[in-house]
Amino acid sequence: MTRAGWEVEAGDDGPVEDGKRALAYRADDGALALYNDYDRGRSILRTPKIPGTWSVRTAPAPGAHPLAAAAEVAGYGTFTFPYGPISAGVPEAGKFEVRTYGERVLGLVPVGGFKTRSVATSVLGLPVADAGLRVERMAGNLSASHVSAFLAAAESAEGRPVPTAELYVRALAQELQRLYNHVRQIARVAEAAAQNVGLAQVHALGEEILRLQGSVFGHRWMFGALLPGGPARRVDAADRDRLEHALGGIGAEFDVLWSLLLESRTFVDRLQSTAPLSKESAIASGAVGPTLRASGVGWDDRLRAPTPPYTDLFVSLPNETAGDALARILVRGAEIQASLVILEQLFDRWPTEESITEPAESPVGPGRGIARVEAPNGDLVYDVTVADGRVRRLQFRSPSAANWPAFAASMQDAVFTDFHFAFESFGLVFAETDG
Amino acid sequence: MFGWLGRSAARGILTTRYPDAPPTPSEAPVSAHAPEPRPAVPISPNAVAGCPVRAIAPDGVDQGRCIRCARCLAQGFEFSGPVALATAKRPDRPEGPGAILGGAAPLARLGRSIHVFLVDVGSCNACNLEVLSIAHPQYDASRLGIFFTNSPRHADVLLVVGVPTEAMVEPLRRAYDAIPAPKAVVATGACAIRGGVFEGTPGLRSGVDEIVPVDLYVPGCPPPPVAVLDALLRLIGRERTEAPT
Repeated sequence: MTRAGWEVEAGDDGPVEDGKRALAYRADDGALALYNDYDRGRSILRTPKIPGTWSVRTAPAPGAHPLAAAAEVAGYGTFTFPYGPISAGVPEAGKFEVRTYGERVLGLVPVGGFKTRSVATSVLGLPVADAGLRVERMAGNLSASHVSAFLAAAESAEGRPVPTAELYVRALAQELQRLYNHVRQIARVAEAAAQNVGLAQVHALGEEILRLQGSVFGHRWMFGALLPGGPARRVDAADRDRLEHALGGIGAEFDVLWSLLLESRTFVDRLQSTAPLSKESAIASGAVGPTLRASGVGWDDRLRAPTPPYTDLFVSLPNETAGDALARILVRGAEIQASLVILEQLFDRWPTEESITEPAESPVGPGRGIARVEAPNGDLVYDVTVADGRVRRLQFRSPSAANWPAFAASMQDAVFTDFHFAFESFGLVFAETDG
Repeated sequence: MFGWLGRSAARGILTTRYPDAPPTPSEAPVSAHAPEPRPAVPISPNAVAGCPVRAIAPDGVDQGRCIRCARCLAQGFEFSGPVALATAKRPDRPEGPGAILGGAAPLARLGRSIHVFLVDVGSCNACNLEVLSIAHPQYDASRLGIFFTNSPRHADVLLVVGVPTEAMVEPLRRAYDAIPAPKAVVATGACAIRGGVFEGTPGLRSGVDEIVPVDLYVPGCPPPPVAVLDALLRLIGRERTEAPT
């Protein structure tokens, strides 16, 4: 059993602002670190130049880490309530150790490791295309983001050119999956709030998005649709027309459902001030994605660290400052509307058939590549070393892994009935945390 | 509230006619169908060698291993087989061609209405979501007497998804023991059947049936909701049967 969440990195190999934490991805000689300095608008990935200059602590210092602090709460009548790994509320195998004396949650420690399929080690030695089949099953509902980040890192490692059209297909897959995940997250919160009619309507919308993915990519979860160097499936003009038409309907439907949900006072009241996360606490715990943006920090890789085709698009940045479950859900709703705009822009600028260049026959050479993608639940980083067309090393930092400490921090002093509202508003996935 | 009522009325009935009608193309996209060699095309050595999960052998396809990656489409295969593949036997090659494509006799271990308990033992989350989506308006399993329950004590069916990790062996056994008899176990998805794309990874069991006895295997990666519905309907003898031609 390992504690979900990431160890805080102590050392550094260059100028780091005082008090700014760096999060280490792995404690081996190929460590990769992320400096989050949002006050200066920076979130920088670094690879240490001199191996061994990083002193990675294997366990966080007591009290320094939200998870460590939670485990140590003691007092009259306190006990640890184990919730999971098979539980009614969380549809995944994962466990929570809740420190409590009854109703109030004094501290909460998420415990992962029940779903460890060792994806990162099992792909070693495999050709990049075969490794992609395992990487996309890291988390099925986030497959497009995982495989896009993995392929971008592998292609940059090999120096393999990628046709522009393929980058557009990947962006299309990612944005569709973002729609699905946000819609599902909203449905899960509506379920927790017993908004049963709204829940059914929102679930119906999610199913429509899955069917759309199935009709365009041939697979409801777009498994096997993205390949290194070139498209497994060309999205032609007829497909794009169909998508535009269907997405127009989905957008109009979502707007109606969204306004109906937000008109429901019981729904909004239940979410307001539930599981609050302050801006300081969000930054200190290393939160990413909608969680971070709901706490008043406007970092989105699509805008702040964009790769093609996002460099050519206008990306709006929905932000909230309250940091509670309602803010996180409002950010997701606004991102659905933003993603629909992004998809329209993608179709408008889709590269013409003439400008598609065939990928080079053979990759240029071995190397290491790093790619960053804004997954539906946050900043996703892949670090891949490729030699002879095979994966030699793979590390990744999933958005869920980054968000567990923030979730634990937000649950401190909550009551247990807040759990599902908090959990679903964060969009945490055990599968990608365990790897 | 009246807004919701108006919305529901405006949308009309979304629910599929399955199992009274065959699955439509939107319910079952191409990869929901089992891959089969094109008519009169022998299985080529390239197809056997090119399959990333070793599901293709010279004399047939192991649907329990297939992850629907579509690579064999370039080697003379097509997604033309049935969608509903649930079979009582392990869809394995060694058990002969009859077991490969399912079509097993109705199982009917249980009667009337069933309550299903979903257990994840190491999935990627896609199977979990596909299974849960049978309760959504487009499939509405409750009209067929199929319900999800939050407690194994109230369950008739243990529906397992994912490749079993060592950490989940004991919790799975306990969940199985907690379900009162008569009970049925459904292994859903390639991972639960043989480990899927992770078959052979150290630390993982190759299939749920190494831990608890399995009554039905549902191939697919992940199986679409209609395939999950078909499997559960088989348990109560209400599955779709093609009209005799």
